[in-house]
Amino acid sequence: MCRWTAVLATAFLALILQAGSARLSAKPAPVAHPQSPAADSATPALDYEFFKARVEPIFLKKRPTHARCYVCHEEANHALKLAKLSPGNTTWTEEESRRNFAMVSALVTPGDPIGSTLLHHPLAPEAGGDAFHSGGRQFESQSDPDWMTLAEWVRGQKAK
Amino acid sequence: MSRILRVRRLGLLQIFCALLALPALAATARIYITNSAGDTISVIDPVTNKVVQVIKGIEVPHGVNFSRDGKLVFISNESESVLDVVDQKSGAITGRVPLSGHPNNIAVTKDGKQVVICIASAPGAIDIVDIATLKLAKTIPVRGPLHNVYVTPDGNYAVAGSVAAKRITVVDLKTLAPVWEVDLEGGVRPMTMDANADGSTHRIYVQISNYHGFVVVDFASHKEVARVKLPDGEFGKAEWRLGTPTHGIGVSPDGKTLWVNSILANAVFEYSLPDLKLMGHASLPLVERKGEAPSGAVPEWITFTPDNKTVYISNSASRSVSAIDTATLKQVAVIPVGEVPKRINTLVLP
Repeated sequence: MCRWTAVLATAFLALILQAGSARLSAKPAPVAHPQSPAADSATPALDYEFFKARVEPIFLKKRPTHARCYVCHEEANHALKLAKLSPGNTTWTEEESRRNFAMVSALVTPGDPIGSTLLHHPLAPEAGGDAFHSGGRQFESQSDPDWMTLAEWVRGQKAK
Repeated sequence: MSRILRVRRLGLLQIFCALLALPALAATARIYITNSAGDTISVIDPVTNKVVQVIKGIEVPHGVNFSRDGKLVFISNESESVLDVVDQKSGAITGRVPLSGHPNNIAVTKDGKQVVICIASAPGAIDIVDIATLKLAKTIPVRGPLHNVYVTPDGNYAVAGSVAAKRITVVDLKTLAPVWEVDLEGGVRPMTMDANADGSTHRIYVQISNYHGFVVVDFASHKEVARVKLPDGEFGKAEWRLGTPTHGIGVSPDGKTLWVNSILANAVFEYSLPDLKLMGHASLPLVERKGEAPSGAVPEWITFTPDNKTVYISNSASRSVSAIDTATLKQVAVIPVGEVPKRINTLVLP
């Protein structure tokens, strides 16, 4: 009887400590999109080199019938605010890319592509994206190669 | 006998004239829509409600307007901060006028001599482009970045609105100088005007941020004199447009009705003029979403056929334009266009 009381008391104490620890480490929860599945259990790190080599070019790419991301998001009053290209440059400098990396990283939930604003917002609503993006349906489906590249980065893919 | 023949001949002549008139009517109007998240402008024939021309090569087109002879189409180009000049028949870009900053909407003066352009980049301005020379003739400083501009019904003034400054600025088109301003509670979005019996400007109807309705400004006293709230709706939250609950407002060509888009109700409302009585509404298309309830079309702009019979509304979230019969308030066509269609205007060919 005493042994069972001790076990129960230990379990209760453990629960209290766990709850307290969770409260202490609580951070503002990211906005969860309705269709977002649970993020990967091990949160991957976002790779800067992959971002620079594969993600940034997507922002400058001209897709048929679409405006480039950069045209609307260059130093714009949007959540996605890309650095202005230096005069005469067609790509960003190292410093500008670092700034872009920090800014774009804030718009993703590592390990959870569809739960990341960067991927959810410009995706067609019929494909699981937001109801409206003032830059239009940049990605018609989750099979779009550029959308998949963004998803790879969010899942922690490293540059080869 | 001869009298019967004469009557028959007269009847045949009337039928012949009517048949001649049909294609003439068909050829007299075109509806232009700028696809703001794309690089095209769609042109609709209002008789068939089909896209009959696509102007290409203008990334992030904004405002669209026309020369008085209908031969030139002017389009403000946000990606390059220029005014593109397009040949109406071929759709080819024939000229580019560099502007003083990032442009938004445009208007053409009643005498057909100038294009008036809102400059949205700080500190804001109105650019005047001379149509004869296709050169920037003047930049008029104003207090605040500008979004939309209109020429008053009498042609004497340009009326421009600023979202950031929550202000309307009225410019005398003879002196090209601001003559009065009115500050409103919210950012100034689309506007339209009606006229007094003598042709002078009566009122400005203004859509503002965070208000599901429109504000009425008396042109003579320069004061807000009324507000009209639209019936509530359940849309706007999923579309992230609660701060812009209404967008798009227009007075019909006969001056008898006012049409107001509602993003929250996903509809267009019709009001009588000048008494502003609600006459009815027409619902707009829904957007299907995977695993979610359908969302609204996010209507953006309004234009009319010159005969008042059809109102056209650009649906920015559904890549379409709705054609609504003004007599029955029924949607008679949903016309697929480009990416995020916004500004829409009617060209009446001479």
